[in-house]
Amino acid sequence: MLQYRLEKRAEPSRIMLYAAPVLAVVLAMIIGATIFAAIGYDGIAAVREIFLTPLTNSYKWQDLAIKAAPLIIIGVGLAVCYRANVWNIGAEGQYVVGGVFATGVALATYGMSGWWILPLMALAGAVGGMAYAAIPAFLRTRLGVNEILTSLMLTYASVQLVYYLVRAPWKDPMGMGFPQTRLFSEAARLPTLIPGTIVHVGVPIAIVVAIIGWFVMKRSLMGFQVRVVGAAPQAARYGGFSHTRTIWLALLISGGLAGFAGMLEVSGPFQRLVPGFPTNYGYTAIIAAFLGRLNPIGVIFASLVLAITFVGGELAQTTIGLPNAASGIFQALILFLLLAADLLVRYRVRSVSTSPRGATT
Amino acid sequence: MDANMPARLALEGITKAFPGVLANDNVSFSVQPGKIHALLGENGAGKSTLVKMIYGIMSQDAGTIRWNGEAVRIDNPKQARRLGIGMVFQHFSLFEALSVLENIALGMDAKIPSRELEKRIRAVLETYGLKLDPHRIVSTLSVGERQRIEIVRALLLSPKLLIMDEPTSVLTPQEVDQLFGTLRQLASEGCSILYISHKLDEIKALCDSATILRGGKVVATCDPAEETSRSMAEKMIGTSLADVEKNASRQFGEPKLVVSRLSTKSEDEFGVAVADVSFSVRAGEIFGIAGVAGNGQNALLDALSGEVRGADSEAITLDGHPLGLLGTTQRRKLGLCAVPEERNGHAAVSEFTLSDNSVLTARDRKGLVGSGLINSGAARNYTGEVIAEFAVKALGPEALAGSLSGGNLQKYIMGREILQSPTVLVVSQPTWGVDAGAATAIRQALVNLAAAGSAIVVISQDLDELLTLSDRLAVINDGHLSQPLDVDGISIEEIGLLMGGVHGTSQETRIVAGDDVAVSA
Repeated sequence: MLQYRLEKRAEPSRIMLYAAPVLAVVLAMIIGATIFAAIGYDGIAAVREIFLTPLTNSYKWQDLAIKAAPLIIIGVGLAVCYRANVWNIGAEGQYVVGGVFATGVALATYGMSGWWILPLMALAGAVGGMAYAAIPAFLRTRLGVNEILTSLMLTYASVQLVYYLVRAPWKDPMGMGFPQTRLFSEAARLPTLIPGTIVHVGVPIAIVVAIIGWFVMKRSLMGFQVRVVGAAPQAARYGGFSHTRTIWLALLISGGLAGFAGMLEVSGPFQRLVPGFPTNYGYTAIIAAFLGRLNPIGVIFASLVLAITFVGGELAQTTIGLPNAASGIFQALILFLLLAADLLVRYRVRSVSTSPRGATT
Repeated sequence: MDANMPARLALEGITKAFPGVLANDNVSFSVQPGKIHALLGENGAGKSTLVKMIYGIMSQDAGTIRWNGEAVRIDNPKQARRLGIGMVFQHFSLFEALSVLENIALGMDAKIPSRELEKRIRAVLETYGLKLDPHRIVSTLSVGERQRIEIVRALLLSPKLLIMDEPTSVLTPQEVDQLFGTLRQLASEGCSILYISHKLDEIKALCDSATILRGGKVVATCDPAEETSRSMAEKMIGTSLADVEKNASRQFGEPKLVVSRLSTKSEDEFGVAVADVSFSVRAGEIFGIAGVAGNGQNALLDALSGEVRGADSEAITLDGHPLGLLGTTQRRKLGLCAVPEERNGHAAVSEFTLSDNSVLTARDRKGLVGSGLINSGAARNYTGEVIAEFAVKALGPEALAGSLSGGNLQKYIMGREILQSPTVLVVSQPTWGVDAGAATAIRQALVNLAAAGSAIVVISQDLDELLTLSDRLAVINDGHLSQPLDVDGISIEEIGLLMGGVHGTSQETRIVAGDDVAVSA
C-alpha cells in the first residue's frame, strides 16, 4: 500500500521557489473555473476572459501597463519591508495619503506652470506616505504596538480624510457640488509616454524602481541589513545592525514608495482627487510582493499577472456578466494557493509503503 | 551477553541515503536492557540520522529495527514514545515565551491537568536530584537549565530506552556526576541508555559498550573500559589525534583588554546581570572564565562584544581606547571580535550563505563592503580562505550555513573571527557540541592566535577545555567574577567545588522556597 508523506529537504528547493507562484496561478485558474461553473457561469470562459483576453487584445495592453505600475512600485517597497520581518499591511493608506499630499501641492500651485511642480508633487507624495508609515513605526519601536494592526487601521482613517477633503476644503468651486477637487492644471498632470495612449511616465519609472530595489537588496549593505534583521534578529544585533533603525527603514521605504505611487496615480489617470481614489492597489500589492517572492524583479511579473486579473475582471463583467468580485476572488485564490505551494520549497512529497520495512526477514 | 535474552534495541543493516550522501551504510548494533551504550562519531558521521530513525523522525531506506526482539516500524516520535523510547535532543525544542511547566505539558502525548503534572515533575526532579523551577519562563533560562527541561520531559514517561544527545556539554563536573548518578540509577532500574557524546572520558566513566561510526559505517564496537580516550578518538576520526601544542616559554605583553568595574542591567526580571566585574588580559594571554550556565556569561559576552552597550565608557578599554559606549561595529573596527555561544541564528544566519555570513562580522576589517555596497568577490575569497584554513567541510562559500554540521559551522565561525587577526577575541563555548577532531583544531587556532600576540577571553563551561587553554582563570557566579587564578597548580576539583558551591548559593536566590539546594563538598 502506498501513502504519501512530507519529507523535509536538506536545502530549500530553488526550482520550487520559482515554480510555486506559477503553480499557484495555474491552480487558481482551475479552482476558479470550477467555482464559477458551479454557480452557473461558463467557468472556462471566465478564466479565458480574465487571464487570456487582456493579453491577446492589444488594445488592453496599455491598461495592463498603467494598472501594473502602481502595483510594482508599492510591491517593491513591501517586498523590502517584509524581508525585514516587518508587516506593513497599510500600504493602501500610505498610497492614499501620498495622493493627498501630492494633491495639496497641485492645488497650491494651481494655475502655475513650471517643470518643478511634478517633482515637488512626487516629493510630497513620498513624504506623505513616509509620514503615514512613521506612525506605526513609532508605535512599534517605542511602545511595542504590533504594526499589522496599526498600519491596517490607519488605512480606514486615510479614506475618511479623502472624503472630508473632497467634500469641504478642497471641493472644486466649479464642480456643481460633486465631491471632488478641481482638475489639476497642465503642469501638475503626468505626461503620457506614448502619444494617443493612456500610458504615462509612471510605467517606466516603476520598472526603474524595481531594478533599483533589486540592486539595493542584492548588493548594498542596507539591503543586507534588512535581510539579516528579518532572518535572524539576534545575529543582526551581533553583526551590529540596529533592530529599531531597521524597522524604521522598512516602514519608511515601503511607505515612501506607496506614497509616490499615490502621487503618480493622482496626477496620471485621475488628474484630480476623487472619493474613488482609494482603489485597493495597496492591498493587491501585498499579493504582488508575495507572488514575486519578495524579490523586486519578481514583483514586476507578479504585478503584471495581477493587472491581468484586474483588466480581465472588468472585461468579464461586460462580456459574460461575471460579478465585480471575480478578479478579487482570483487574486485571493492565488495568494492562498501560493502560501500552500510554498510548503514544497522546504518539503518534498514522498510515497512510502506502509508495510514494515524488512519485517519479513 | 546473554544469548537467550533479546536485546532491548537491535539495529540490523540500517541504511539511509540523502541526495548525494549515504548517511548510514549498513549499520548494525544492539543495546542490552539496563545497559548504557555509547554512540560515538565525528559530526557528520551519521549519529543524528541514526537516532532520528530510532525515534521515528525519519524512516530507513533498508534494514530492520528490533525492539525486544521484534521487528518494529517506528513511524513517528509518538509511536517511539509509546514503545518506551525517550529522547533528549542536542538542540532543544522549547517555546521561549512559555514556562517550564507549559513546555512540558505541550510535549506530553496524554493530557494531564497541570497541577497533577507539576506534582509529577517535582517528583522526578526530586528522585533524580535535578534542580528546576517549573514556573520559570524558558526565555530566561540558560542552556544548561533548558537541557534539564528536556531530561525531565523524557523521564516523565518512564522510558525503557533513553537516547541522550550530547547531554553534558553545559554542566559542571558536579552536575555531570549528578547526571551520571541519574543515568546509572535509571540503568539499574532496567532502562537502557543510548548515549551520544564526544567526551571520551565520560564515555569511559559511564558506558558499558560503545559503537563507533565514521562516514556512516560502524568502524568499531568496543568496551570503553578497555580503551583509552585517545584510542577511541583515533578510531572516530580515522587518523591519529593531535594535542593542543602550547609554547611552554611563552611571554605576555602589555594589557590589551582592561575591564574595570563593569556592570550591566539585566534584560528581564530573571536574567542574570554582570556586577562589578574587573579583569585584564595581556597580549599573548588566554584568560578563561569558568562557571555554571546561567551565571551571567551571556550578559558578560554581550557587554564585551558591544551587543549591549554599557553606561560607562571607561569600563572596557582596548589598548587604552575606551569602548564602553560603542556598538559591535565600532569595537570590531578597533580590534575586538567576539563569538557568542549559540551558533544558529546568533553567530551565524542559517538561511544565508557562508559568504553572506562573512559580511555579517568581517565586512570592515576585511574590506568586504565599499561605499555602502557589498563586494561579493571579496566576501567569497575571504570565505574560501576561512574554509581552506580551518578545514571546514562545506561545498564552498555559497553553501548555506544551515547545511553545515554543528562542528563545521563552528570551525567556520571561529575561522571567520580569527583570520580577522583581532587584537582581542572573546569567545563563549568555542567547542560546544563539536567533535574531538574539530575541537582540537579550534583550540589550537586559539592558542596560535594568542601566540601571535592577541589577547583572548574564553568563556566556557568545559573545565578541561579551560585548563588546556587558559593561562589564568576566574569563575563567574551570579554575575560576580572571582579573583583570577594561575592555571598552573590548580586542580579541576578545586575549581569544580568553587563553581559548585557558588552554584548552590546562586540557586538559592532563584529557586522557590522548599526546594533543597544542598550541594555539599
